[in-house]
Formats: sequence, C-alpha cells, structure tokens
Amino acid sequence: MKDAETYCVALFEAVSHVMKAEKLLKEAGIRYKIVPVPKSISADCGVCVRFLPEHKEAIMEVLQRQVRVIEIRNL
Amino acid sequence: MSELINATGLACPEPVVLTKKALDSCDDVTVLVDNTTALENVKRLASSSGCAVDVTEELEGIFRIRLKKQQSNKPECAPSQTVQGPTVFVIASDSMGNGNDELGALLMKTFLHTAIDLEHRPDVLILYNTGARLAATDSGEVDDLKALEEKGVRILVCGTCVNFFELGGKLAAGTISNMYDIADILSKAGRIVRP
Repeated sequence: MKDAETYCVALFEAVSHVMKAEKLLKEAGIRYKIVPVPKSISADCGVCVRFLPEHKEAIMEVLQRQVRVIEIRNL
Repeated sequence: MSELINATGLACPEPVVLTKKALDSCDDVTVLVDNTTALENVKRLASSSGCAVDVTEELEGIFRIRLKKQQSNKPECAPSQTVQGPTVFVIASDSMGNGNDELGALLMKTFLHTAIDLEHRPDVLILYNTGARLAATDSGEVDDLKALEEKGVRILVCGTCVNFFELGGKLAAGTISNMYDIADILSKAGRIVRP
C-alpha cells in the first residue's frame, strides 16, 4: 500500500505559489501530488506538494529561483 | 467509566488520537497535555464529539482537560441515523466551487484525496460533465479514485460525458454508466454530497 511509503511535503507561503510549483513540476514531468497540509503540521486549510524523498533534489532544482519553498518536511 | 490519559511529551496528533480512542469506550476522559496546540486540538475534538469540557492548569504549562459525554448532544457532524438510502458524492465538475477554475481544480484534488480517509465515505461516487475527466489516466486525481474504489466506493462515470470528452479507452477508474442508473441512484440516495 502507498500509505506505507514515506513522503516529503513542500510547504509554501501562498496557494498561488503551490499552483505555480504544480505547473513547473508538471512541465518537468516529476511525480508529485497536491494534498491538504497534514493536520499534524498545521490546522490551517492549506495545500502543499507531496513527493517521494528520491525526487527531492529534482524538485528543488526545478523550483529554485522560481517559487519560494518555506520548508520541506518528512511525513 | 472514566479514563486518565497522560499525553504530555507526545507530538501532535497523538493526544487527539488517544483521546478519541478513549472516548469510544468511556464517557468521562481526562487528558493531560503540555502545550496549547494539543489543548486547543483536544478542545476542538470535545466540541465535535458532543462533550462538555473543563480545563484546569495543573502546573505551569501542563493542562488537565476533562471531557464528559453529554447524552443529548449528538455529534454535529455524524449523519442522522434515520436517513435511508446510500450516501452519494456527486462530482459534477473538475472544479470545486465556482469562481476561479484553477483554484477549483486544486480544491477538488485535495477533496478527493481527503475523501479516502473520511469516517463516512460515500457508497457511490458519480462523475459527470467535466467531473468525468478526473477518471482519465492522465488526470492527477485518478490514483485517489482508485484508492476509493479499493475501499469499497462504487464509482460511476457518465457515459455521455466520456463520449463528449473523448475519454474512451482512457478511463483508469470507475465504471462507465448511463443516465438510467445515475438518475435511479440519485433518486434513491439518502444523502447527496456535492462538493
């Protein structure tokens, strides 16, 4: 099951930043998923980008200088 | 029956998870927590599960929260037991809400993802109009729809819509259905949820 995998999430300042990141990641063909910010991180009604740890470097490469990532967290 | 839980030193969401578990078997639960986030989260759980709550600060930063189930207070969020018929989620569009479609698409993604772990999952989920696109292989939502199917949710995709959007052969979740079945299910539904 997928649930058994470990994931990372990238947190952003604003929903518009998540949308921009989504566009860039889609273009780059990197596997990601938009999910609600886990309750354990924040009770706000936010969204974030979830991905497998092995894609972390590729994702940071694509997003750098284009969208500001506040934080990467392991789930 | 009462229970005491020492949730000090535990990271979120453990205090809430433990409290919820205790409330399943007890009417009177006392929880000790050592931070205000846990305090607020447990208080929120108390109100959503119909409990009276009483908070005292034991030592500096240690809170004792007592939750007592109220007999008359049914949980606000649970569907009424008297409703007959299946719960149907209608996904009438690939966008959640009206106004901004880009935002709507993002909201729909998170809605379907969240639906997998809902306490009250739908019996049937119907996808029509642009909602049908979500079941196509290249949509970002298809994995979540598959996960819902694995959990026993029956997913129907409007056949007319599949034809219109030329999705034939591209469906990776759900069963192609027709207006007879869709109208029949909607007319017999106990609850219809349309995000």
